[in-house]
Amino acid sequence: MLRVIRLYFRFLGLHLRALLEYQSDFWVMAVATVLMQVVNLVFLSAVFAKVPALNGWSFWAVVAMFAMMAIAEGVGSFFFEGTWRLSIAINEGTLDYALVRPYPVVLQVTSMEVGINGLTNIVTGGAMLVVALSRVDVAWSALTVLLAVVLLLGAVFIKVAINLATNSISFWLSGPSPMFAMAVHQVGELARFPLSIYPLALKATLGFVVPFAFISTFPISFLMDAGSTPWLGLLTPLVAVYCVAVALVVFSRGLRRYESAGN
Amino acid sequence: MALVEARRLTKVFRRPDKPPGLAGSLRHLVSRKYVEKVAVDGVDLSIEAGEAVAYVGPNGAGKSTTVKLLSGILEPTSGEVRIDGMVPQRERMAVAHRIGVLFGQRTQLWWDLPVADSLAVLRDLYGVDRATYEKRLKRFDDVLGTGELMAVTGRKLSLGQRMRADLAAALIHGPDVVYLDEPTIGLDLAVKDRVREFFRDLRDEGTTVMLTSHDLADIEGFCKRLVIIDEGRLVFDGDLEAVKDEFARERILHVSTEQRVASDVVRDALPGAVVTAGETPLWHTIRFDRFALTAGQAVAAVSGVATVVDFRIDEPGIEDVIRRVYSGDLLLTSDSAL
Repeated sequence: MLRVIRLYFRFLGLHLRALLEYQSDFWVMAVATVLMQVVNLVFLSAVFAKVPALNGWSFWAVVAMFAMMAIAEGVGSFFFEGTWRLSIAINEGTLDYALVRPYPVVLQVTSMEVGINGLTNIVTGGAMLVVALSRVDVAWSALTVLLAVVLLLGAVFIKVAINLATNSISFWLSGPSPMFAMAVHQVGELARFPLSIYPLALKATLGFVVPFAFISTFPISFLMDAGSTPWLGLLTPLVAVYCVAVALVVFSRGLRRYESAGN
Repeated sequence: MALVEARRLTKVFRRPDKPPGLAGSLRHLVSRKYVEKVAVDGVDLSIEAGEAVAYVGPNGAGKSTTVKLLSGILEPTSGEVRIDGMVPQRERMAVAHRIGVLFGQRTQLWWDLPVADSLAVLRDLYGVDRATYEKRLKRFDDVLGTGELMAVTGRKLSLGQRMRADLAAALIHGPDVVYLDEPTIGLDLAVKDRVREFFRDLRDEGTTVMLTSHDLADIEGFCKRLVIIDEGRLVFDGDLEAVKDEFARERILHVSTEQRVASDVVRDALPGAVVTAGETPLWHTIRFDRFALTAGQAVAAVSGVATVVDFRIDEPGIEDVIRRVYSGDLLLTSDSAL
């Protein structure tokens, strides 16, 4: 296990080193992602300038939800960006060598690339989360801090697992771009906002079918003890385990369909 | 049980049957049609530890697909593979330490890294200790001259350099079964010689090697055993030398004479041989069975009808035999001794 993790960071390090060769790219990316978060905040403040609360959720509560999503996406792109390269690898048949090495194939795939924008998303998301959580009404104690960390980890793994599962669909679709995963990701963006503002069909989709709401609404709702079902947030780690398990099953089923290239 | 065992190994690919052009692609969206292509068809193969096997066949015969099935990259449609009793598709980790795979068409080196870094990553991946690693590197350098490549970035390697570095990458963990798929493709002659010498060393050390190649010079002097695949089926599995003795019996004598001689005259002097006109009117081409006639007898017979000025003899290699198998005018039957 330790060996697997050590090697994982080794792989990421290789790509990071290669990336840092292009310094200007790094700074452009960094500035672009920071700017995106700023735009998000400006948009939110514009909305909240007109309405005092969104279905009972304050400005800072929604910022916290945005922040959770940003961190989850950030971890997804910084540590698991390779997931998004799966479809092209399948299409071009470049997984061959990964399949004959003594290291989990799925982790070789997810570490194929480093998304440097993930780093800025983690930093800005983290800052947003800390500020937002200090402005909302949370009964802080050692236990809530611990729970907050657990929920955050759960949220991150849910996002990573959804990325993996949806990208693994490429084993069946075999086109060169991850269109299905992109589409699901776009739907997931809706989960930045509190789930309660959406109609039932969307609630069911984001809360149950593809549980994006467990990345943002539910954990924040639990921490603030607000909303209609705050206890749901406590299920986040379980949902994360479930999502990771499903993603791994989809991936390994898909891998059996891998056809390489050159036939 | 043999080290590598394939039983009734079959791989069927399903390909969309698209009419040509954009219109065809659009039509395919609505009514999906597929064609099935049987790439590997019921292949039985067993390779003993330490054996060197040449696996040949024309383009698209299923060579690479077989290698990918044997190394666990592809899932067989039916049948199974075992490497030392393990199914590579199921016991990937354990099998990975035992096998080394090289696809000549594709590199496993990291594009942005110097070769030394790529090899170091593989060392850690396979858990090779430093001393063994250094020893292997030294050997690769001795035979393949990889030392000078260590500082070169993956993308800057020439094809020949890349292949040498890739060979080192495929063998850095000291596998006991090695699949080499077209390992000399695109290499110039000097590098080819070097690589071939390396393969012989590998074989002599007792590594089990399966080599697929288009270039039959790769296999001559390397493998004892020849396996031929055509259209997904094994058409021959047996001893390479025996095949040569049995089917490469023909010799071709090119002879030039001082004066012009009609082919018929030469033909009459050489019953049992096939005489045709050569490249110029002074030359004749004579094909004969080396067991029915010696080259000396053939030359002597021509001397009887005209003054021989010059001659040369073509000795067919295994290429000709295999070419005839491919083109369908020679049907080899598998050697039951193996």
